[in-house]
Amino acid sequence: MVPIVALASYFLMAALPLSTEDESKRQLPPELVASYRRDLGMGEPLGFLRPWKKLFAGQRLGTSAQGITGDELLTKISGSVAVGLVALALALVWAFAYALLRLRTRLSRLSPLSDLLPALAFGTPVFIPALLLAPYAAERGHLIPELAAALVISWWPGVLLGSLITAALTSELTRDYVRTAIGKGLPRSATLRRHVIPNVVPAVLDSIGPVATALLAGSFAAERVLGLPYFGQLYVMAVLQKQVAVVVVATTAFAAILVAVAIAVELLRWLIDPRSRASAPS
Amino acid sequence: MSPVQRMRTFPRARASLIGAALLAALWISSFALSHWLAPLERHCPLGRDLLRPDQTVCELAFGGLWVSLSLGVAAGALSTILGLLLAVAARSAGRAVDRWSMRLADAFFSLPDVLVLMVVQFAGQTLSDLDPRFRVSPPLLMVLSLAIVGWSGPARMLRNRLETLEQEDFVRAAKALGAGRLHLIRRHLWPGLREYTGAIFLSRVPAAVLAESTVSFFGIARMEPMSLGRYLGTSYSSLLYPSGARIVLPAWGMLVVLVLAASLAGRQVQWPRRG
Repeated sequence: MVPIVALASYFLMAALPLSTEDESKRQLPPELVASYRRDLGMGEPLGFLRPWKKLFAGQRLGTSAQGITGDELLTKISGSVAVGLVALALALVWAFAYALLRLRTRLSRLSPLSDLLPALAFGTPVFIPALLLAPYAAERGHLIPELAAALVISWWPGVLLGSLITAALTSELTRDYVRTAIGKGLPRSATLRRHVIPNVVPAVLDSIGPVATALLAGSFAAERVLGLPYFGQLYVMAVLQKQVAVVVVATTAFAAILVAVAIAVELLRWLIDPRSRASAPS
Repeated sequence: MSPVQRMRTFPRARASLIGAALLAALWISSFALSHWLAPLERHCPLGRDLLRPDQTVCELAFGGLWVSLSLGVAAGALSTILGLLLAVAARSAGRAVDRWSMRLADAFFSLPDVLVLMVVQFAGQTLSDLDPRFRVSPPLLMVLSLAIVGWSGPARMLRNRLETLEQEDFVRAAKALGAGRLHLIRRHLWPGLREYTGAIFLSRVPAAVLAESTVSFFGIARMEPMSLGRYLGTSYSSLLYPSGARIVLPAWGMLVVLVLAASLAGRQVQWPRRG
């Protein structure tokens, strides 16, 4: 997928008419357009590799003021990934809290409320809670903006994971092996820990891919509102300032991160779930 | 079973009807207030917008609601239609085309909506600005962008549904009796696909509204008249002022209610079969 995304974004950006003869429509000065064309290697053989060659050679991609080097790109990606990992941890906390709430209120009058939470979480764009926290968190330092960003990004994925955990727990708790374990005198907590949760974990792992996508996509809005200078902010500014080569590289980097997450999840699943090892071709 | 009995017996059907009714009410009220009852909005209890003192908060919020909802419905419909056409074409063209087109759909589906939408908006606006042959209005560009972003999910789901329906005995019998592909689709497959397509359309509406509001919030989409997302994007600095909440919170509330209504409506459109 990564080479396809790289080529597709390159050819889409390269096809854009960045300049025109009509003075009234010109949005970019000619020297800037020439710089962008050089960045994209237009007219060169294997020109689609040009942005990557510049990046790996340590040169600046884009204009001197708004461009980016390879090191800066790596730093910004690490910042976003770090915020994403904290958000993932928070999402798991929300998930288990929500799962407990669902299981406790399943048959009570509060059940419609717990049904409403996923719709509320899905219906609130990330930038709204970020806006509400921004006056208290933006530019405070001490990693407070990063924590605020992780908090707002984690809400919807947490509720989604919580719904999946609830469904998986409800299904597993009705299984015969659980009744057998309790019937043989195993304490409920030990039954949950040794038998139920190991069977619920693969279902959670299956949803980590979409959750990671949601976390990374949510980081765009959160970083923009809270003023965090990481990958999300970089991407939005590159699009707004028509930094075509930066858009190509950033899009490919994003696709690469998603693929890396998918591979990591598959490895983790292979380690944790003996059924995936047994079903693998010998 | 009467419709009232169905609603009492099947909570999901009740929820989807409530959602659909709420969606229709939002659309009608926002259209009426923005177009016919504009003088009423001049007497808005929330006062005037801080950045646009010639307009009231009600004018901007209800106008934005109408724009967001219209875009969401149009984009949801277009992406569902594109997905349906692709699913039918993939299933009709043979196994290799089916397999590879669904892999393409899966690859597209794995990318986040907002990212692809930003790139498509960027490309579309640049083309529209500089090449007269490709000039499109901002709302039309947004609908087309959202459809390009949103086709893969419906294509996948409708293709799987078609595959299931084609295994049914009545379809196999029709094929054995010599029914052509078009006849099969029109007379046998489409009745089984119709309600499912409706549910997918309703599930695409909130996703389209959210993606549009996020991209408009960034300032990448030049939505005029303003959608709710663009209004929030240009007004959020009002929160720094003591009375700023009256400007941001109503628009936020409308966006949440809109997405909630669309999500409820898409829960289950399919009524249970009679008998």
